[in-house]
Amino acid sequence: MSPADVAVPPAPPAGPAHRPLLPDAPAIRGAFLRLLRSELRLVLGRRRNQALLVGLSLVPLILGLVVRLTQDSALQGQGPGFIGEVTGNGLFLVVAALFVCLPFLLPLCIAIASGDAVAGEAQTGTLRYLLVVPVSRSRLLLVKAVGALVFAASCVAAIAVVAAVTGAALFGVRPLTLLSGDTVPLSDGALRVAGVALYVGLSFIGLVAVGLFFSTLTEVPVAAMAATVVVPVVSTVLDSLPQLDAIHPVLLTHHWFDFAEFLRVQVGWDVLAGGLALQAGWAVVFGSLAWARFTTADITS
Amino acid sequence: MSPTPSSRSLSSRARSTRARWAVPVVAVAVVGGAVGLRPLVASAEGTDLPDVTVAELLEQVSQAESTPVSGTVVYTARLGLPSVPVAEMSGADPTALLGGSSTLRVWTDGVDRSRIALLGAVSEYSVVRDGADAWTYSSTSGEAVHYTLDEAGRARYEQMRVMAEEGTLPTLDPAAVPTALPDDVAGRLPAELAARIDAELAAGPGVTGELPTPQEAARAALRIGEAYSTFTMGEQKTVAGRQAYEVVVTPKDDATLVDRVVVDVDGSTFVPLRVQVWSTQDATAPALELGFTDVSYATPGEAVLTFSPPSGTQVREVVVPTQEEPSTADGTLPTPRDATVTGEGWSGVVELQGVDVAALVAGDPTALLDPSSQLTIGSETAQDLIQQFRPTDEEGQVGLELDAATLYDTLTTPVEGGRLLSSALVSVLVTDDGRVLVGAVPADTLRALA
Repeated sequence: MSPADVAVPPAPPAGPAHRPLLPDAPAIRGAFLRLLRSELRLVLGRRRNQALLVGLSLVPLILGLVVRLTQDSALQGQGPGFIGEVTGNGLFLVVAALFVCLPFLLPLCIAIASGDAVAGEAQTGTLRYLLVVPVSRSRLLLVKAVGALVFAASCVAAIAVVAAVTGAALFGVRPLTLLSGDTVPLSDGALRVAGVALYVGLSFIGLVAVGLFFSTLTEVPVAAMAATVVVPVVSTVLDSLPQLDAIHPVLLTHHWFDFAEFLRVQVGWDVLAGGLALQAGWAVVFGSLAWARFTTADITS
Repeated sequence: MSPTPSSRSLSSRARSTRARWAVPVVAVAVVGGAVGLRPLVASAEGTDLPDVTVAELLEQVSQAESTPVSGTVVYTARLGLPSVPVAEMSGADPTALLGGSSTLRVWTDGVDRSRIALLGAVSEYSVVRDGADAWTYSSTSGEAVHYTLDEAGRARYEQMRVMAEEGTLPTLDPAAVPTALPDDVAGRLPAELAARIDAELAAGPGVTGELPTPQEAARAALRIGEAYSTFTMGEQKTVAGRQAYEVVVTPKDDATLVDRVVVDVDGSTFVPLRVQVWSTQDATAPALELGFTDVSYATPGEAVLTFSPPSGTQVREVVVPTQEEPSTADGTLPTPRDATVTGEGWSGVVELQGVDVAALVAGDPTALLDPSSQLTIGSETAQDLIQQFRPTDEEGQVGLELDAATLYDTLTTPVEGGRLLSSALVSVLVTDDGRVLVGAVPADTLRALA
């Protein structure tokens, strides 16, 4: 449905299921918080989302076990990134697991939740009931955004926590060796690894906004999810083409791997700030698009 | 919160819709504007430094050598070399400097301690120099290399350090300062210029035993450099957020591949901020560019300037032998044995004899140590499949391992009588009879010489 449809006067109701432009209910204090609570319960209590979280937590578990079982064999030290470092320090399992999940698995799970946020309600026909709740559409969208962001944070946290526990249990933790070759004390190392997880979590703000926008465009949640997954994949492909280096700095995924700054002898805070500013830019653009679409759309289901 | 449909007219609803869609339009414009305002590496705006001559600037630069500097440096090479695709996948590695863009972080206390880190995506290659010790560490291979001076070198270094602290560094032996142009240089210069330089050198340090000042040194360097190049002041620029002077060095000789060298120097600290080398082959972008994107003149912290290898890392010890005193007395640069120089100045070609390059690269120990070169897969079929899909070069060699031999094969092309590396700035010809010719000249010049 295009926004132009809104200008057309409401057609006579074709039946009880078709009520264009359902009136928004007046706002009542406290309704927003109640709605937020129920949304969070819905997002985190949903079987599908729980299954995604369990699946993501299995990654560090399997990674840790595989590295542990092969550590004395000929296959030791092979594989991408920090996998070789994990045997020396369990803390590295957090970084290795996030590194492995960052390109595809995490964006996939987060796209599923954020693409489903509005379109899912539209498909099951519950969106118009939500509009009856005494909360404005803007706030309803905000609730949906918070729900999707909380799920994204849970995904990253699930990987990080399971990886930290698995790593500590299988390999033990000791002072962290940075990419620069320097060794920092355990407390500093743990803080740096927490910083990695935090930065990775914040790197998904832009993707959540994109997912939310696609979700307001359609009533078919699968379409919104698929479209959302495509964005980071295409972005990664474009980022790997040196011919396009003029647009690289604005690509959604360009700064995702900058979490490595936490593992350098001097953390490049300006680099991290640049990455977060990019996410903020994507969030502002696609958040405002989602808002414009959602507050002007003709919601019929 | 939107009013109920009954309470608003059609036109106001259309207006409201338009107003709401205006918000993302404004958001795109604001974000786009913020992107467009990102500070560029260099721009020509807002510079109001007092005018200086090239000689004055060089003098300032030579005095500014011990400034502590830290910052981010972007290095871009457009040498036109065949690309080495593995460099991107294998993490931060110095071979990445052959082409493309790399980011480095640099810290130096301006005296004898420094760290340079080549940043890769989640990897890093560090070079730390701490007085007489130097370390390199690669996060990809996890190998640390420790370079130390041999005993004699260490003793001499220590002695120099103590003397520098006490301020009793020996003054330059006046006999070692050239008072006339060496004959082989003078012979190649126009007689008038040679006579002028001779006169200047003779008048040079003046009083016997007096140290040549940086000003003198700068002027002498400029005079000698002017024999082969033209120095001009370029337009003032803003580089890494600092107002900078620009010096353009243009070779007088047009047989060389170097079109010009552009150096930008901070207008208040006189630290060189950017160097560009332009090739005659490409007028649109510099073939080599090395410049700060941000720079700070605070003394770097202790943690950055020291290095101790991580526990459990294999450390390779390399003792650097003390070199014989370079024979600067006759004013020529020391050249390796068996090397001859053909041509002069920018288009000079160095020819080394008796170098067995093939044995050098084939005997590269990293080719044997690299575990991925002995990658074995459980099943034979899988092994075959992997071999089949491994990229190979035209000689059927596996191109996936980046050892010296592969790199050598990738970068050079076979030509009649040897192998040739030709890039936008430098050409190297390795002949089958064991000679190596190197020069900043087109490949055809080398082939003609060989």
